[in-house]
Amino acid sequence: MVSRVLGWIDQRFPLTPFIKHELTDYPTPRNLSYWWNFGFLAGFVLVLQIATGIFLAMYYKPDVNLAFDSVQHIMRDVNYGWLLRYIHSSGASAFFVVIYVHMARTLYYASYHKPRELMWWTGQGLMLLIMATAFMGYLLPWGQMSYWGAQVITNLFGVTPFFGDKIVLWLRGDFSVGDATLTRFFALHYLFPFLICGAVVIHLVALHTVKSSNPSGISLADKDNIPFHPYFTIKDFFGLGIYLIIFCAFVFFRPGAFIEAANNIPANPLVTPPHIEPEWYFLPFYAILRAIPDMLGGVVAMALSVLIFAILPFADRTGIPGGAHFRPAYRIMFYLFVVDVLILGYVGSQPPLGFVVPLGQVATFVYFGTFFLLPFISKWEERWMRARGLPPELLALFEQRPPREKLPREEVAK
Amino acid sequence: MKRWLVFMSCYLAFNAWGEAELPLNKIEVATDLPTLERGAETVMTVCVGCHSLKYIRFRELSKLGIAADKVDGWRGSNPMGTPVASQMPAEAAMASFGKAPPDLSLMAKAREGEADYIYSYLLGYYTTPEGTTGNHYYPATKMPDILAVAGVTDSTQHAQLEQKAREVASFLSWAADPHAQERKALGYYVLGYLVVFTTMLYFLKQKIWSKLDRA
Repeated sequence: MVSRVLGWIDQRFPLTPFIKHELTDYPTPRNLSYWWNFGFLAGFVLVLQIATGIFLAMYYKPDVNLAFDSVQHIMRDVNYGWLLRYIHSSGASAFFVVIYVHMARTLYYASYHKPRELMWWTGQGLMLLIMATAFMGYLLPWGQMSYWGAQVITNLFGVTPFFGDKIVLWLRGDFSVGDATLTRFFALHYLFPFLICGAVVIHLVALHTVKSSNPSGISLADKDNIPFHPYFTIKDFFGLGIYLIIFCAFVFFRPGAFIEAANNIPANPLVTPPHIEPEWYFLPFYAILRAIPDMLGGVVAMALSVLIFAILPFADRTGIPGGAHFRPAYRIMFYLFVVDVLILGYVGSQPPLGFVVPLGQVATFVYFGTFFLLPFISKWEERWMRARGLPPELLALFEQRPPREKLPREEVAK
Repeated sequence: MKRWLVFMSCYLAFNAWGEAELPLNKIEVATDLPTLERGAETVMTVCVGCHSLKYIRFRELSKLGIAADKVDGWRGSNPMGTPVASQMPAEAAMASFGKAPPDLSLMAKAREGEADYIYSYLLGYYTTPEGTTGNHYYPATKMPDILAVAGVTDSTQHAQLEQKAREVASFLSWAADPHAQERKALGYYVLGYLVVFTTMLYFLKQKIWSKLDRA
């Protein structure tokens, strides 16, 4: 019966070949570590956010007079509304944890190298979409931090030369954040996740063209690739179990960990909260914004700090595969960069007083300096490593130029 | 100009924030019914004189387990579905304090330190050298020293007030998050299930991957 139904579908739609090609025959390097789980986890978090978000939207009211009350209605009166909302609010933070780890893995193993530049760039586009979605979603509870966060961030667009004020007005729909802003942010907060889904499809199509990178950084021989299903479906599901244990510990026992106290006070345009602070996942970028004394310069530096990752496929000029796994200088740079981002996060969470100010400026300098120095250090490191003598596998790679992985053209042709 | 003002006000605000804060007195938030009931008694007979609890309806108080005659006494002729309103008209409050007393339903979540803040604040009153009362934790407060803690020197009397403040803080913690107990109770089952399920997934993964080593 099943095979007859499948046969009927396959005559009209390539279901079985699709599953075969993308799942049961899809070649995956067998040496992938658990760090390769995070792409799947990000997809899971996206689905969970959409699922909880749609149900929340059934009870939420995007109106300045009703928004705060409707969130309390969800928290108190709707059956398991508190669960939906806490999954959604903690899920936003979890999403950033997962994609930051996913990015850090890409950086560590330098997976952005040829032929995976488009993976890296579509991933960056995804990150920007997720940031925009998170920012707009944060306005919806209409608490003090929601309101003032949106007020401060939309204000930043005012530095645009010539049309600054017009852009701010266009974003807010009003002269200050108000009902018009809330309704449009709600509409876009509902739209963007579906754009993200579309971008995820592009990200995955690119992935299934170039296939996963692996810790060695070298394209593996056929015998070292194993089918995605069942080996990596089960590995991903085990990782998901670990993730859910940590996530649910927050949802059920520390759900307030990611909700600012000030956001439990309804938005009040007349009272500025004592300390306006973005959500933790924006803190490093916020610190860079504040590190530059000039506002225009600060906004440009903040935008650059997010976008500069795009140059990595060009900036990292090494021929040595495997990223920090094999390259000592790159490994030091990676860890310094991670520590630097953590320092920036700390600086962003503190009022800009005393030693925090120069600390933020030094950390900003190191942040951009890392990208600036990478082309030189990566080239120097390659020469140094080759002079010391490469292991035979790598040497073979250098003999057959181009040094990095070749595009699997046969796969593409199929 | 406007931009500059926003930045200046943020800067000044940061400055104010940066001043050393008094450490809060930590308390254990009670969840047992007798304590919550005594806290409700104080809140409904004292605090509600000026403050509202607009997200709490009288019905929820009886659902919590508070005796029906008490709830009936507090609600008077109001139906059970009425939210707890302040007994002081807003204009009167504005006239006497210059600002409306804030709603208390979310107070235990709306301040850094949560229940500890409420407890410390209620006990934070002292008599200034000028003979007026001040508050260590919120110097700009308009609320009078409602527990009359400033003049107390006797330690047993102070201990009684500490007990009362703890009851109020515990009741307000319940009011801010009425599903907290249910959430935690469910959380143990969810985590228990996930630990068992993940352990099974681990062994399944080991079993599936062992085929590779044999091949």
